[in-house]
Order: sequence, then structure tokens, then C-alpha cells
Amino acid sequence: MIRFILADLRKYWLGSAVIVLIVALAVALGVAVTLQERALRLGSARAADRFDLVIGAAGSENQLVLSSVFLQASPLPLMDGQVLTALSADPRVAWAAPIGFGDSFRGYPIVGTTTALVHSLAGGLSDGKVFAREGEAVIGASVTLKLGDQIKPMHGSAEEGGHTHTELAYRVAGRLKPTGTAWDRAVLVPIQAVWHIHGMGGHHDEVEEGDHHDEHGQVVETHEEDAHHAANPDAPVDETWDAAVPGLPAILVKPKTIADAYKLRQQYRAGATLAVFPAEVLTRLYATLGDAKRVLFAVAAGSQTLVAASLLLVTVMHVGQRRRQIGALRAFGAPRRALFSIVWLELFVLVALGLVLGFALGFAAALAISGIVAGGSGVSMPVGFTREDIGFAAALFAFAALISSVPAILAYRQPPASALRG
Amino acid sequence: MLSLTLADISVSYPGLATPALEIGRLAIPAGTHVAITGASGSGKSTFVNIATGLERARQGRIDWSGTDIVKLSESRRDRWRAENVGLIMQDFHLFPGLSALENVLLPARLAGATSAKIIGRAHDLLKRTGLDRPEQRIETMSRGEMQRVAVARALLRKPGVIIADEPTASLDVESGEAVGTLLLELANQEKSTLIVVSHDVRLTDRLQRKITFNLGQIISDTGAVERAA
Repeated sequence: MIRFILADLRKYWLGSAVIVLIVALAVALGVAVTLQERALRLGSARAADRFDLVIGAAGSENQLVLSSVFLQASPLPLMDGQVLTALSADPRVAWAAPIGFGDSFRGYPIVGTTTALVHSLAGGLSDGKVFAREGEAVIGASVTLKLGDQIKPMHGSAEEGGHTHTELAYRVAGRLKPTGTAWDRAVLVPIQAVWHIHGMGGHHDEVEEGDHHDEHGQVVETHEEDAHHAANPDAPVDETWDAAVPGLPAILVKPKTIADAYKLRQQYRAGATLAVFPAEVLTRLYATLGDAKRVLFAVAAGSQTLVAASLLLVTVMHVGQRRRQIGALRAFGAPRRALFSIVWLELFVLVALGLVLGFALGFAAALAISGIVAGGSGVSMPVGFTREDIGFAAALFAFAALISSVPAILAYRQPPASALRG
Repeated sequence: MLSLTLADISVSYPGLATPALEIGRLAIPAGTHVAITGASGSGKSTFVNIATGLERARQGRIDWSGTDIVKLSESRRDRWRAENVGLIMQDFHLFPGLSALENVLLPARLAGATSAKIIGRAHDLLKRTGLDRPEQRIETMSRGEMQRVAVARALLRKPGVIIADEPTASLDVESGEAVGTLLLELANQEKSTLIVVSHDVRLTDRLQRKITFNLGQIISDTGAVERAA
């Protein structure tokens, strides 16, 4: 019987191939949507995992998280530098690291921060050492630079028509271990260097604050020569925060305990500051995305239904065309159950092949999309099947078995004589 | 070897004024070789269909050596036909992609009736029909060779009756002669009853008895006279 089915499939190989392909594409769509949605959720949750508490000036929570966790440059309002001073002295805080954005190099965001963050971000360096001087930088794992390379910061980004700073060029001193987050694409520099380049009051300088950034808080160039003189690549990094700390877009805080985290969040949610758990903000974002996901699933399910329907149409017509063959087999003594099995198996084999191929295609597509996303944002999006997918696959195979039985029943019920006539 | 007795058969189709086949009584003794002729539409095909149980007769009796197939269920009729009837058709109904041997064995395989003995018999039958390449793909054969494969397939399970529906109509004269001879020889050797539906006079003239149909009725029967006597 198997040889007969194979011979049959070979005879109708083109139609068979088209059926396999159509099923595969429809399944791949559904699988890719499922996997990609899961990858997005998992990847961004992992990225947010490393940041317990983010404090910024009162404003949009989403923007604060997107800017600090995913390094998506958006103009954040600034909060008073005193907040950092207070947090650094707070006994509930393990460490608090300010971050300052605004510059970039070859598309990599340059983030001004402190050694505390560099140490804890990736669980260590894979190469080199942490910056110790103003002119040194630590690069993320995905930044394609070598130790010792020069980084000339560009204000804003090239697409926005920024200009290159001439005051200071960083030298790559170390490289972080990979984290699978947006920070893999970041260039980390001492925040005091960022302040100095932009002529903002590093704590021992006397530049007064407030006039050098616009109301959105993005660092604004003053273009005054004297505002740029303070950068000295050999100056040692100084991380004592006194009263002269300039305005900050965000501070990443590592509380000592969970209870401390909640207390700190409570305290800094009031007034001019905003404190968020990134994971919590993301959960809320997913809830919003949930609707989009439902639409995508509906589209995928709709396409699968259409494919199932067209499959039925094709196979019913196909059985009609094979009336003579089926009738002849019965006339020569093949029992009806054998004919049922032949027709059922033929279609089921095709659909099952399509399903397997579809899962492979969907997986490949999800991997490809994740690769593109990871290349663009640095956020690694893990693509993988989980236990619930087994149920999904089983349901699809059961449905394939059901669909295949329709033409098989037709073949079973077909009277042998009418099949032979004419 | 099977004998056939038909009684009170009347088959009509919707939209046709006269019955497609109407037989009061017809007896074909076991082991005889009978030709059935007639113009197209005379009821020959209907006769083959109901006599083999491919189509169900709503009334009357179709008695094959004691088994009235009118009374059998569809599945039982299928099984009875598989075990007792060797069918040969004008269009061969062989399956491309399979070898000659696989074609001979296919119905038995689908019915789960293959054994080493049956496979041996398939080889033997192919040899006796004059084919010495059992592994040859069916689509590479000539029409005459194809009909030989079909004959071997019909005989595989030692049927009590061989029924051939226009076995030579789609063959050239030479191949038709050869297939006709083969049929007669094998029916003799296997001691099967043989019923050949054909309007090929060269073939029907070689059979003992000729029954002629017209408009669903038997209009002449060279064997009936003896029986009436």
C-alpha cells in the first residue's frame, strides 16, 4: 500500500508539492507570530531584569524605561542632581548610577555612567579594564571596536545631523561580557566626561547649571569655546557626588532588599521625581500589545482556516477525478477500508509534511526577525518552542487527520460501478 | 468453478423508460465459456455490473453456485468478488509507477491476502502470460502487454469465474488475437467459468456459447436451446 501511495504522490507530485507548500506557509505564519511574540516578551523582560529601580524626573514612565533600559534615545526631562547625592548616601541603596545620554559613535549610543554600573551590568569584563580616567571608555560586547581604539563622540546621531565633538576623544579601555540587552551596543564612559564635554558643571567646575539644556532635558550645545575646555582625558574618574551635580535624565538604583526597593519607589514617586520598576512598566506595555497580538493571531488563524477550506475543495475535486481509479481498485477486490486508508494517508502525509515544514519555516523566520532586532537594538530575543507548542502542534495534526478523512469518506462511499462507468 | 443462475432481474435507471436490463431466467453452467454480445447500450455493461456485484440488483436472484449475491451486504459482496471473480476490463486499469508484478499483486495486497504462495503464483502467471520481466514498470509496456498483466491479475486468486469486459477492444488485431487465445487457454487450465463481453467477432466465435443482448433483453442464446431440450 505504501508503494502505491508513493507512486500516486509521484504521479501528482506538482499538486502535492503545492499542497505541502500552502500548508507550510499558513502554519509558518502562525508559528512565527507565536514565537516572535514570546521572544519579544522574553527578550525585553530579560533586558529589564538587570535594572531593579529607575528614577527620573516626573514624566512618562514608558519613556523613562525605554531610554534607560533599551537606550532608545528620547528627550527626557532632567531631575535635580541632588537626587543622586541623596541616593548615594541612602543606607537602603547598594549603588546608584546616573546615566547621561546624547552622544553617539558610529550609531552606538555613548552612555555616561559610573564604574558601579559597569561592574554590575554584565557581571564583569571580558577584556581590558574599567575606565579610570575621563578619556577612557568601556564598550558593550557587540560594539565592533578593539581595545585602544579611539572614539570621537558625535553629538546626537549622524542621521540627525549632529556634529563631532573635538574636545575629547575616548580610548577603549575594556569590553563588557555579553548581556543580551541593548547595553551590548553601548559605549560606556565616565559621566563626568559627558558633563565636561557639554560644558555642564562637573562638580569641581563652576559652570552654572540649567541654561545648558532645553526643557526636554537633552543636552544642548552651547558652542561657546570656553564651555568646552574642561575635558581632560587624563583626569582621574571621580565619583563622589556633591551639591554641584548637574541635572540628570535617569538614575539606575540597586536597592539592598526588596522591601527597600518598594520603599524607595514610594519615596521617589512623589513630587518632581518618578521611580519605576522597569519590569512593571513592561508588563503594562505587554497588556497594551496584547490587543495587537490578538489581531495577529486572528490573521494567522484566518489564513489557516482559508487554507483548510481550499485544501478540502482541492481534495474533494481530486477524489472526483480519481473515481475511476478508486472504483477499479474496488472492482478488483480491494476492500473499502483499504481505499479509505489510501486516500486518508495520502492527504495526511502531505498535510503533515506541510505542518513539519511550516514549524521549521516559522522557527527560521522568527530567528531571522530576532536576528534583525538584535542587530538593531542589541536586545537579544530568544526564540524557542515551549511545552504549550506541543499542544498546538498536536491540535494541528489532529485537525489534519480530520480534514483528510473527508475525501477518504467520499472514496469509501463511492459505489464501484458508477466509478467505472464512462 | 462457478455456475451462474439469474432470475427475475430487472434494472432500471431514472429517466429511462425501458429497463436497462431485464432477464427472466439465465443459466450459465460451471466451466462453460460464454460470449455476450450486442450493440452499445444493449445492457452488456449492466449485466457485468450486476453479475459481479459491482452494482446492486434491487430484485431477483443472482446465484453463483449457491451464493445469492443480491442478499449480500456491500462489504460482503466486495469480499465475495475479490475471492471469486477475476475481472478484466477494456481499459486495463493498471496503476502507473508500479511494476507488472506489483500491479498483479496490488488488489490482493490491499485486501491483506498476500502470502509467499500468492507471490509465487503471480510470478508464475506473468510467465504463463508471456511476460518475462516482472519488475518492468507498467507505463513502459505496450497495450498488448498491459492486457496480459491485467489477465494475470484477474487470475491471481484462482477465481471461479473470469469475466472480461471488451478485453480486446482497445488492442490491435494481433494483440487482440493473442489476448483472446491466452484467456481461453488459461480458463481451461484453471478450470474457470469464462464470460466474455465483446463485439469482437473473432473472439466471440471461439467461445462455446453466444448470448446476444438488445435493448436490455436477451434476443438470442446459442446455448439456451440445448438446455430447453
